[in-house]
Amino acid sequence: MSGEGDGAMERLYAERLARYTTAMRNGRPDMVPIRPFVAEFTARHAGFTCQEVTHDYDKAFEAARRCAVDFDWDAVVSNMVYVWTGLTQAMGLRYYGVPGIDVPPDVGFQYLEPGDDGAFMRADEYDELIADPTAFLYNVWLPRVSSEVMQPGEASSYRGNLALVKGAMAMMQYFGAFGTQNARLRCESGTVSAIAGIFKAPFDILADKLRGYVGLCMDMCEQPSKVLEACEALMPHLYHVAKTTADPLQQVPIGYWMHRGCVPFVSPDQFASHYWPTVRPIIEELWRHGHQTLFYAEGDWKHHLESFRELPDQSIVYHVDQADVFDVHERLGDKFCLSGGIPNFLLAHRPASEVRDFCKKVIDVVAADGGYIMDASAIMQHDTRGENLAAMTECTREYGVYSGGTSSPPATPIVAEGSLSAHGGSATRPGQCVEWAKKAASLPVLEGDADLVEEVWNNIDSLGNVFIWQWLLSF
Amino acid sequence: MPGDQELFDAVLQADRDRVIAAVRAGVDGGTPVSSLLMDCMVPAMREIGDRFAAGELFIPEMLFAARAMQAGLDIVEPLLGDSDHGSLGRVAVGTVKGDMHDIGKNLVVMMLKGGGYRVTDLGVDCSLETYEAAVAEGSTVLCCSALLTSTMTYMKQVVGRFQKDPAVKVIVGGAPVTRAFAEDIGADGFAEHASEATRVVSACLAGSAPAR
Repeated sequence: MSGEGDGAMERLYAERLARYTTAMRNGRPDMVPIRPFVAEFTARHAGFTCQEVTHDYDKAFEAARRCAVDFDWDAVVSNMVYVWTGLTQAMGLRYYGVPGIDVPPDVGFQYLEPGDDGAFMRADEYDELIADPTAFLYNVWLPRVSSEVMQPGEASSYRGNLALVKGAMAMMQYFGAFGTQNARLRCESGTVSAIAGIFKAPFDILADKLRGYVGLCMDMCEQPSKVLEACEALMPHLYHVAKTTADPLQQVPIGYWMHRGCVPFVSPDQFASHYWPTVRPIIEELWRHGHQTLFYAEGDWKHHLESFRELPDQSIVYHVDQADVFDVHERLGDKFCLSGGIPNFLLAHRPASEVRDFCKKVIDVVAADGGYIMDASAIMQHDTRGENLAAMTECTREYGVYSGGTSSPPATPIVAEGSLSAHGGSATRPGQCVEWAKKAASLPVLEGDADLVEEVWNNIDSLGNVFIWQWLLSF
Repeated sequence: MPGDQELFDAVLQADRDRVIAAVRAGVDGGTPVSSLLMDCMVPAMREIGDRFAAGELFIPEMLFAARAMQAGLDIVEPLLGDSDHGSLGRVAVGTVKGDMHDIGKNLVVMMLKGGGYRVTDLGVDCSLETYEAAVAEGSTVLCCSALLTSTMTYMKQVVGRFQKDPAVKVIVGGAPVTRAFAEDIGADGFAEHASEATRVVSACLAGSAPAR
């Protein structure tokens, strides 16, 4: 590629980044940005099976780049088929249905929630989780979700040791590959990597990965105070993961994947007592540090929009799934940028003309004053039709042009350290596994630069923390 | 209500221990088990469904009540004759082929059992053959669940397979499934939430299907 070509691509990237970030701060850019959450659709477009993009992340990356080249999109997620089975197979994770192994090769991977009696955390284990979430994950949770890893006290095994080594190295390899992928998206198609970092609500983590939804429902009836304590104990750790995985340039938002915290999965009282009080402070503190959070509001959260209005203006991007995008715009549009709301059923099963009509209506109403990003309601799987996605893209470019729009880099909020930076009472601080003080007690009196020894210990120890919390949140 | 008010209240208040005690007291006192089920427990679960529909109760409370109901059923069921328990109808519930998600399906199973139906849980990844086998074993209502837009289209095949058999009704539901989709594929019924499943099954069996 020539230097001139590089310059053109870099200008395109800069235009798209400015368009995307301006809209996310609820501003009015030059045109409506397009940021489709394309998952297994990328495989369909690039000629791969679901099995190929799930098992081979190079193919998944290639498929995402192919889409970025072929469609005029401002931003994409580097790999929305996020669960790489190289990782999950290394650990023998029990909770995925994997294409080509558990489901047919052309079906996307699926999360298999354990039944009421097979939950990965028992109803009487709240105190152990609350006392030290990180230790609980290593000692109790991991051996249960893995077919390979041994429980503490059990004899170690060749397969168990291998699983930990392979799982850790595979995770480093995979995360490292995202840097190259993002750079290639930027220089090959001028496309912005749409999100950075991960957050999930404490309540959702309990429901999804620990107690299971049914188990948590029972706990909410039988021991609600323990559930609240557990949510509070998880808060500083989940905040730490979100903050340390966020975009250091504070340009793109942290992905917040919302599952079962909305009515009717919980009652309004439970949302008010458990879900929201253990989410809101985290979002506010991330914002104080300059990080927006993208609320991927899976399902319909219409009962909770007033609660979300409590958050500072611009602090979130609200993605509309099954809710009525026009209603959400009326209720949140003055404070936050919205994205999504184009029904997946339309994109998968209806003619392109209907897609265009719906997109035009959304542009006319929801995007009228800026603060809207074009996207489907839910992550797009391989049932999405390419011609319909092309219609969504072309319609947005045709109708979604603002007169007098501006694109300016977002202002960075003032950074202030808050209470969530403390460890919240857990025996192990967020970001660590074995405290330096414990390690130091086992060493002889140090000579030379003791701070250097401590710093290196803490840096490497933090990798153990990344490992276990990423398993919990991302895989 | 002709039945045992204590049993009705215990199910309604999701008090498992009280349900067990009330069922045992009823059985020991000579109350017909079919009466305990049909006059006390089933009406209580219907009341819970009604309260859910009215926005007064939510899924956690419903699940809690269903668990209390199940504790009573565990005592009552072995004592019921075939005609007692099967009187409302036999229903088979499964997540369609290619889809491994089962939370919604499990909720439907719990609610239908609570509604007094004899329920066969077909599990996940159900093919046409699975549904055919359920019909061969006596189910007259098939409930199909899906969580993904990419798998819900299989429901059309299930509906198509049984469309010419007036004795079999097919009901669809799940997060991405809409009433419009249900009508489009010709389903006999559509339940937006698990709590609606009992009402929709009842309507289907009575011949007043809401989605076709």
